[in-house]
Amino acid sequence: MLKYIISFCLFITSLSNVAQEKEALDTVSNKTAYGLRLGIDISKPIMGVIDSNSSGLEFVADYRITKNWYIAAEFGTQEEITVEDYTNSTSKGSFYKIGVNYNAYDNWLDMNNEIFVGFRYATSAFEQTLNSFRSNTGSDYFSGNPVTTPITTKELTAHWTEFVLGIKVETFKNLFLGFSFSYKIMLSVDQPTNFKTLYVPGFNRVFETETGFGFNYTISYTIPFISK
Amino acid sequence: MKKNSIYILFLALVFTACEKDDICLSPTTPKLVVRFYDNANQTALKSVERLSIWADGKDTLSIYKSVSLDSVTIPLNVNTTQTIYHLKTNTVDGNKANNLINTITINYTTTEEYISRSCGFKTIFNNVTISSNNGWIQSFTPTSLTKIDTQTSAHVKIYH
Repeated sequence: MLKYIISFCLFITSLSNVAQEKEALDTVSNKTAYGLRLGIDISKPIMGVIDSNSSGLEFVADYRITKNWYIAAEFGTQEEITVEDYTNSTSKGSFYKIGVNYNAYDNWLDMNNEIFVGFRYATSAFEQTLNSFRSNTGSDYFSGNPVTTPITTKELTAHWTEFVLGIKVETFKNLFLGFSFSYKIMLSVDQPTNFKTLYVPGFNRVFETETGFGFNYTISYTIPFISK
Repeated sequence: MKKNSIYILFLALVFTACEKDDICLSPTTPKLVVRFYDNANQTALKSVERLSIWADGKDTLSIYKSVSLDSVTIPLNVNTTQTIYHLKTNTVDGNKANNLINTITINYTTTEEYISRSCGFKTIFNNVTISSNNGWIQSFTPTSLTKIDTQTSAHVKIYH
């Protein structure tokens, strides 16, 4: 993770060098592209390879509306097995997030990098299966035998808000690498009967206080509509 | 200034995200709480001399090996609907020949109730009936309970 942060810093440094050289050669106009930026979260396929309990896919999109404001959205699917001491459960479903990003970074000339803060409203439709469980007897004199009949609860929904903090770096013309961190606060979540929603696709692990956090690494490409 | 405020926001988010829900602190499956009373004076607690307790076919409970106590909590088997306990007392000396053994049989049905992520499920015992083979235990009350879902107070009073 640190390696990526360092490489991002190097990208920024190299880009600023390029910009300075350009400035020395001639006077370029400070125009940057406005358009639809589409991308994919590369951390989810990588996590799927590393962790057999996790598999998912996430697409990201944003649309620049002013110099510093973007309309942003994410959508995807996730299947996650949650293993606890006494329960084993699977959450499976899709999620949508929509909101805005504000770019707080002052770019040099025609550079187009971002350090952004954002806000999202998000929703997920999912199902949860209690794969197996055993009773917590609190003693080892009689311990509970595992019950392995899966119990699936379908048509569960969750709604939440996210605060996002991240960076995006233009590595080649219109191609961006990004990293973002999000803090999530649950608004409402359906609970299965005699069990609990431990994981929500897009929200990730649901903590006791109904909060959560997540991150993504993205590669995205801007389809330029206009430059201004 | 703008960057500083973002940094502070980020730190605030990181710290509020730290919480502990990995340690189970809630009550789990209740045990059967038994208190021993004097048969002659039924409001007075009376310790059982050199008490040992074991379930049928199992080793003696490590905390109840020839102890003198007026209150015990014993686990019930959550995988079946019956638990048989043998209670040994010896009021004379440590000699095996003077051991008195009483058997109590507890019948019930079970249901599982979800507690939390770290605690998992607990078992609740319903329609509990208790019987004794009347050895050194002269009587007990009650003989049936609708539900055992906590262990905060005594479930069974045994008179001896």
